[in-house]
Amino acid sequence: MVARALRKSYGERVAVDAVDFAVEPGTCFGFLGPNGAGKTTMMKMIYGLATVDGGELQVLGMDVATQRREVKARLGVVPQETNLDGEFSVLENLIVQASYYGVPEREAEPRARELLDFCQLADRAEEKIWSLSGGMKRRLLVARALVNRPEIVVLDEPTTGLDPQARLALWREMESLKDRGVTLLLTTHYMEEAARLCDRLVIIDLGRIVAEGEPRELMREHDAETLEEVFLTLTGRHLREELVEGGARGIS
Amino acid sequence: MSDLAPSARETARVAGRNARVFSKLWKGSLLPQFLDPLFYLVALGFGLGTYIASINGVPYKDFIAPGLIASAAMWSASFECTYNVYLRMNETKLYDAILATPIEVPDLVAGDLAWSSLRATIYGTVFLIVVAAFGLIDSWWALAIPPLVVIGGLAFSTMAYTFTALIPRIDLYSYFFTLGITPMFLFSGIFFPFDRLPAVAEVVAWFTPLYHMVEITRALAAGPPGADVLLNAAVLLAMSAALFAIPVRAVRRRLVA
Repeated sequence: MVARALRKSYGERVAVDAVDFAVEPGTCFGFLGPNGAGKTTMMKMIYGLATVDGGELQVLGMDVATQRREVKARLGVVPQETNLDGEFSVLENLIVQASYYGVPEREAEPRARELLDFCQLADRAEEKIWSLSGGMKRRLLVARALVNRPEIVVLDEPTTGLDPQARLALWREMESLKDRGVTLLLTTHYMEEAARLCDRLVIIDLGRIVAEGEPRELMREHDAETLEEVFLTLTGRHLREELVEGGARGIS
Repeated sequence: MSDLAPSARETARVAGRNARVFSKLWKGSLLPQFLDPLFYLVALGFGLGTYIASINGVPYKDFIAPGLIASAAMWSASFECTYNVYLRMNETKLYDAILATPIEVPDLVAGDLAWSSLRATIYGTVFLIVVAAFGLIDSWWALAIPPLVVIGGLAFSTMAYTFTALIPRIDLYSYFFTLGITPMFLFSGIFFPFDRLPAVAEVVAWFTPLYHMVEITRALAAGPPGADVLLNAAVLLAMSAALFAIPVRAVRRRLVA
């Protein structure tokens, strides 16, 4: 996957501003940034829910602007918002999702059961969506993203709002996907998550890439103990301004 | 224009999802909708109709029965393409999930419309059978009603979908139903003919899809139809074709910005 001078704006507001990055197959590539940095917009451009305003975005050697359908056929998407199909059971959610890719039901059902095993939801197969916990819904979203056997899986803040156990379970799933050679694109604002999973990452602020590299490399470059420090140094502008302002007014 | 053209394969997949939902729900929450036109038939046809000898030589219950087949299809399509679509698009965000698969916006809209037309035909056909059981159908030509209800169902669906794609809030459906569907139901020739009314009444009705659908069902229920039926069908198709681009563009603007 290659992005060159990628741009996107909504009216006056520039969401993605001349962004370049390249993702090697089989690796986990992270997009770190505070809320509103443009991470989700970038992910949406990759999976076809946002148009590309400028620059170029190539996925699996195809241009997303002209071959969106073909690109989407080979991607899996775990969106930030849970959008499972409430009319169906857990198992049927996967079968119906597979039907959107043209996988016939007789083939989709064993595949769906396999994925439920993988995401430890096998005993919930017949249950309705509303009976699942937040962590289970997330795992089902991961299973759903795999029904078309994608080469790339896009995960947009997959662990936001989850308890530590649920987060750990998802991390294990992501690691196991990486072991199988699936390329992962991950957005997050948890540094621990990025440090654990990502081979390479970019730090984004206000739609621009402010740093890129391997997690360890970034820590060394910025003379930081943790990725969190690097992150705050590069994106903590507002926080610092607030502190400085507070200090000037005699508030500490 | 290619960005408006749906792919048949992907369209069928979206329709298939909706049909699957219906196959689970029709015996339960959707059952009352089958009874709706029956109440009108009993109250107006058998109740009021006892006091009205006939309309142009046709007993009143026989007069309204075919029109109620048309309105059954209209109500079905109007519910399917209003609240159901609105919720999937704006509340449950299901369309975001579907559009992240190889399905594109024109496929999504066409798939919903195809299913809604079929669903309208199911409701229309069920009521045709009910009406026939009451002995209110005079001709075997009535067998041609279901395939033509598909065309009418498409027009009703496209109209409702267009409204859904354009409104910013769900409460605006009161305008659609109170100012659109209900007057159309009452004034499109189901309950009284146009021949003794000022000509303008029929001219206004001509621009509604229900008028053409009622013309079709009434003609086929009575016997060999005139060539007019083909014109009515052509108008319904033209209405659907003329509107289709509007929801496609509006849904795209809303979901793939």
